[in-house]
Amino acid sequence: MKRFWSWAAIAFGAIYFLLPLIGTIEFSLRMRRGEYSLDAYASVLADPNFRATFGYSVVMALLTILLGVLIVVPTAYWVRLRLPRLRPVIEFITLLPLVIPAIVVVFGYIRLYNTSSVLPLTGTATGTNILLLCGYAMLALPYMYRAVDTGLSTLDVRALTEAAQSLGAGWVGIIGRLILPNVLGAVMSGAFLSFAIVIGEFTMAALLNRPAFGPYMQLLGANRAYEPAALAVIAFGVTWGCMGLLQLISRLLGVRKTAT
Amino acid sequence: MSFLVLDHLRKSFGPTRVVDDFSLSVDKGEFISFLGPSGCGKTTVLRMVAGFEAPSDGRILIDGQDVTRLRPNQRQIGMVFQAYALFPNLTVAGNVGFGLRVAGVPRAARADRVAEMLALIGLPDLGGRYPWQLSGGQQQRVALARALAPSPRVLLLDEPLSALDAKIRLSLRNQIRDIQQQLGITTIFVTHDQEEALSISDRIVVMHRGIADQTGTPSDIYNHPATGFVAGFVGTLNRFSAEVVDPVAGHVRVEGADIALGRLLPPGRVTLAARPESLKVAPEGIPARITGVEFLGSVHRLRARAGGAELVLDRFNAPGEALPRPGDHVRISAAPAAWLVLPE
Ligand SMILES: Nc1ncnc2c1ncn2[C@@H]1O[C@H](COP(=O)(O)OP(=O)(O)O)[C@@H](O)[C@H]1O
Ligand SMILES: [Mg+2]
Repeated sequence: MKRFWSWAAIAFGAIYFLLPLIGTIEFSLRMRRGEYSLDAYASVLADPNFRATFGYSVVMALLTILLGVLIVVPTAYWVRLRLPRLRPVIEFITLLPLVIPAIVVVFGYIRLYNTSSVLPLTGTATGTNILLLCGYAMLALPYMYRAVDTGLSTLDVRALTEAAQSLGAGWVGIIGRLILPNVLGAVMSGAFLSFAIVIGEFTMAALLNRPAFGPYMQLLGANRAYEPAALAVIAFGVTWGCMGLLQLISRLLGVRKTAT
Repeated sequence: MSFLVLDHLRKSFGPTRVVDDFSLSVDKGEFISFLGPSGCGKTTVLRMVAGFEAPSDGRILIDGQDVTRLRPNQRQIGMVFQAYALFPNLTVAGNVGFGLRVAGVPRAARADRVAEMLALIGLPDLGGRYPWQLSGGQQQRVALARALAPSPRVLLLDEPLSALDAKIRLSLRNQIRDIQQQLGITTIFVTHDQEEALSISDRIVVMHRGIADQTGTPSDIYNHPATGFVAGFVGTLNRFSAEVVDPVAGHVRVEGADIALGRLLPPGRVTLAARPESLKVAPEGIPARITGVEFLGSVHRLRARAGGAELVLDRFNAPGEALPRPGDHVRISAAPAAWLVLPE
């Protein structure tokens, strides 16, 4: 009986997740009347806007990861090394992006950095890109911080730091040569989650009026029938590709992961 | 001028004073042990020398240079930790070469030095392994090689053998001493194990509640303990409460027996003490009753009771010689010079 219910739960879950996906895929193949075809995909891939927005979002995602690593790794390291009592506070702060809606944050940004402010970032495209990058890094913060902090928890941060210091290493050397390589697996999992978030992000990009993939998907969805379905499948594939890559890389790095 | 000078070091954590007025001068190439019970401040002194803790007061000089305010990575001090602290992402060779890489030593010179160090610790073929592929003893030897590779001015070891099992502990401590003498490196070795300290040190600092109770050679510390604490902590000690009968001639009375010490004594009562190997069963002396006999190979250990005191006597194993049996009433004494006189 117990077996039956666990199978039923699995089946229900599978239907819940798979049916819409199968429906979307099926629909995306029906652009040509009367037969299945990849016409919708061809149409999407041929659209220069697709390539431009997707490229933009990929670049933004990579920059977000870079910024996230630069902020999170030293911070999480320092908190563990010198401010262990502040860890719950920092953890709470990093969770805020999950609680505060992106729309609130972006309106805050626009108010703070508008053209009549001290730092008029929204006045130029570059400035707005920077602002969006900061927003993305903040959105990714909960995932990045958790991943890195978990990675650090497997290390005796203090002993390793002191060993490196006595060997002459400074802070940059310690973080670059010791801490970062040892949490690389964790950084990777944070990085791919960040990637997935940035690729699909809509609110911030739309309100800051940047040519990102999220607003493009929305625009296409409002104006076409079959292409949005194809686009959704592509976006889904990209996200899952990221997850797979994540598994692969952490497994490759896992070979060198330490026991004690 | 001593090579390493600790000058009136003090350290408090909040209101608790952990190290108090700690002074020590170490000659170049000397092997010093800090010996004391857990929590007496050994690690704290060591960490101040390494630069991981700032002294609340006092100075640290290395080779005449005041390093008290220098950061740890500027002190050129090698450190070996109890928990090894090897870098898990680097191979053995990477670990040993880490300090050289930080110092910008070119790759070829680095490889030579790493090979030299691995040969020194007797693991010439393990350069390509990762730390988790090594045993504890091997890891600690790699940690030693890593600390020595950049040719530090001083080597600090904080209970490096405590995490290892007895056999490895013994062989590694001899290896540490050999390497230290081969390189002539000034070394401070922290331990709570008196046998370890006695066997490998040039001098021992016995610490007690943040204070250096006595500093001296192993035989000094063992044979002429300066305080009751040192006497009790280093080696086993039999204590008797004694009444000074004649302070000038050095006569005392213990449990009704007269003992002549032949040296000047303070008047009143003192504690008379002797090591297990100094006490003998004799025709004259303190009356005692044998309570047990243990055979430990090279010695027979006799347990006895005299008045309220539990005694331990070690006697070299001499086959054929008659031993007292449990329940026997005997008399116990020691050579006059073997008696330690401690304040009551
Ligand atoms: N960072 C610290 N903060 C507060 N107390 C400490 C700190 N480090 C050590 N102590 C205290 O100082 C005392 C001496 O510690 P330690 O030097 O580690 O002793 P030992 O190495 O001889 O065992 C202990 O009572 C310990 O609790
Ligand atoms: Mg200690």
